[in-house]
Amino acid sequence: MSKPELWVIAERRLDHVESTTQQLITKAKSLAGDHFNVVTILLEATTDHLEDELSAYGPDEIRIARDDRFPTATDAELADAIKQLVDQYQPNSILFGATITGRSIAPRLQAKLQTGLTADCLDLRFDDETLVATKPSYGDNIMCEIICPDHLPQMATVRPNTFVATPAAGAATVTDSPVTFHPVDRLQVTAATPVVNTATTVGDATRVVALGRGAASAATIDSATKLAEKLGGRIGVSRPLTDQPRFTHDDQIGQSGNTIHPELIVNFGISGAVQYLVGMQDSQTIVAVNADENAPIFDVADYGYVGDAQAFMTALLAQFN
Amino acid sequence: MKIVVCIKQVPETNDVTIDPVTHNLDRRGLAGVMNPFDKNAIELALTLKDSRDDVQVALLTMGPDDYAESLREGMAMGADEGYLLSDRAFAGADTLATGYVIAQALKKIGDADLILFGRQAVDADTGQVGPIVAEFLHQPQITYAASLRLSGANEVTAERLLEDTKQTLVAQLPAVVSVRSELNTPRYPTPRNIQLSFAKPLTVWHHDDLDLDDSRLGQAGSPTIVTKVYAPEPVKRKLTPLTGTPSEAASQLITALKNRQLI
Repeated sequence: MSKPELWVIAERRLDHVESTTQQLITKAKSLAGDHFNVVTILLEATTDHLEDELSAYGPDEIRIARDDRFPTATDAELADAIKQLVDQYQPNSILFGATITGRSIAPRLQAKLQTGLTADCLDLRFDDETLVATKPSYGDNIMCEIICPDHLPQMATVRPNTFVATPAAGAATVTDSPVTFHPVDRLQVTAATPVVNTATTVGDATRVVALGRGAASAATIDSATKLAEKLGGRIGVSRPLTDQPRFTHDDQIGQSGNTIHPELIVNFGISGAVQYLVGMQDSQTIVAVNADENAPIFDVADYGYVGDAQAFMTALLAQFN
Repeated sequence: MKIVVCIKQVPETNDVTIDPVTHNLDRRGLAGVMNPFDKNAIELALTLKDSRDDVQVALLTMGPDDYAESLREGMAMGADEGYLLSDRAFAGADTLATGYVIAQALKKIGDADLILFGRQAVDADTGQVGPIVAEFLHQPQITYAASLRLSGANEVTAERLLEDTKQTLVAQLPAVVSVRSELNTPRYPTPRNIQLSFAKPLTVWHHDDLDLDDSRLGQAGSPTIVTKVYAPEPVKRKLTPLTGTPSEAASQLITALKNRQLI
């Protein structure tokens, strides 16, 4: 008997695959062991080759449905196409990125399939063939483990950057699986344009360059501005820098300012007082650069460099190009 | 034009704790308030009402009788009427069973041109009920709308912000739309509107008022089960030192950030 299938729905972002897809393939492979086949479902145009961005992550199979309308298809059309594949292959579980697209398509598919969907998961595991999904509630204050014991497929959306994508050996089988595109003429995407950075405050930036007393010169702030631009993020500051004319209380990170949890925060010249740390320690990836090797900021950092903030920033900017 | 805004009542704070003995959520003493994101949906409906003479705005919620407070608040903001779906049989519903009852109620209300939702509820944070209702009603959806305007007699144009892409969508009504909180600033009820709200109709529908398949209701109609609830442990991190000259260290960081798909 063939193995049950664990699906990862590949998400398209303009001409590329959204990076949560690769993260989910890596996670799915570690969950699957010898027990499941990891199948990536890809909906793309006839001449697209987005599978080339997926095969290096080692799914067992990349199953492609092609139609030139997929790149601009709307939620209902995409959910309808995936539904046809589910009916044909009867997967055990389906994972989506908890991106805006994933969180819009997955519940439509859930309603078609009359099954359970757990949103915005931070962890996944299998107990035999039962998917146990961990989701936060009440603003991440509470974690819930949720199962869907009597319905298949089991479905989850997973918060982006929860897992790290790792290239893996093994050649994925690439197969074509035609579906019938059922257009919904009442809704049209009439334009799609890339947005480099939609954050208007440090609170909703996904990438933050944070400056403290040790990175307060005009030249350093200029460099930090460039770095923030390249990262698609914003500058935030610790309390001492709010006295500078270029910053206000709105830019402050910490207990008396903004509590933030971006995907990435790079801290320059910040020692890491408790009041600061509580405002940013839930960030996903934390980098710290500080001249004092005993600075508390290093206790919460993933990557640390002991040295001069300006010198490191200059080197980083030079290599970014 | 008829607009129905679907709302939810949530605890007034997210600072919930877990009972150390029962391991259940301790929600004692937590008053209910309208889900803040739903006020953006109401505000959008009222803005459309302000712009045209023929717009009627109804509010719809499912929950215990005290959810009427949120309906009254929405009517005090300016909505015309409220519907409360309240029955023991609806209790314990997950998103699928909730979406089913709301969809059946929307069929009974009938002829809604626009069905609005807030982006998600602040307690459960799923954002799923809007798309589920859209599917059950076979209507197109625009989720996370960052702007919305009437662009024709029977047409809306919306902008939707994906993480790094802005889409423009045009929908022929009827349609289901969920809105981002950045869309607008909800108005406050004025004393006059608060007074007027008490004369506005609030309809309560129980189980027998709707056409329902009992197997799809409440806990029995919910595919998902919460098996464990706990407070998260703080994340423990392991520091990877960046070493050498600034240039060498920067190179190590760039490799690490690429591996984490951050650049």
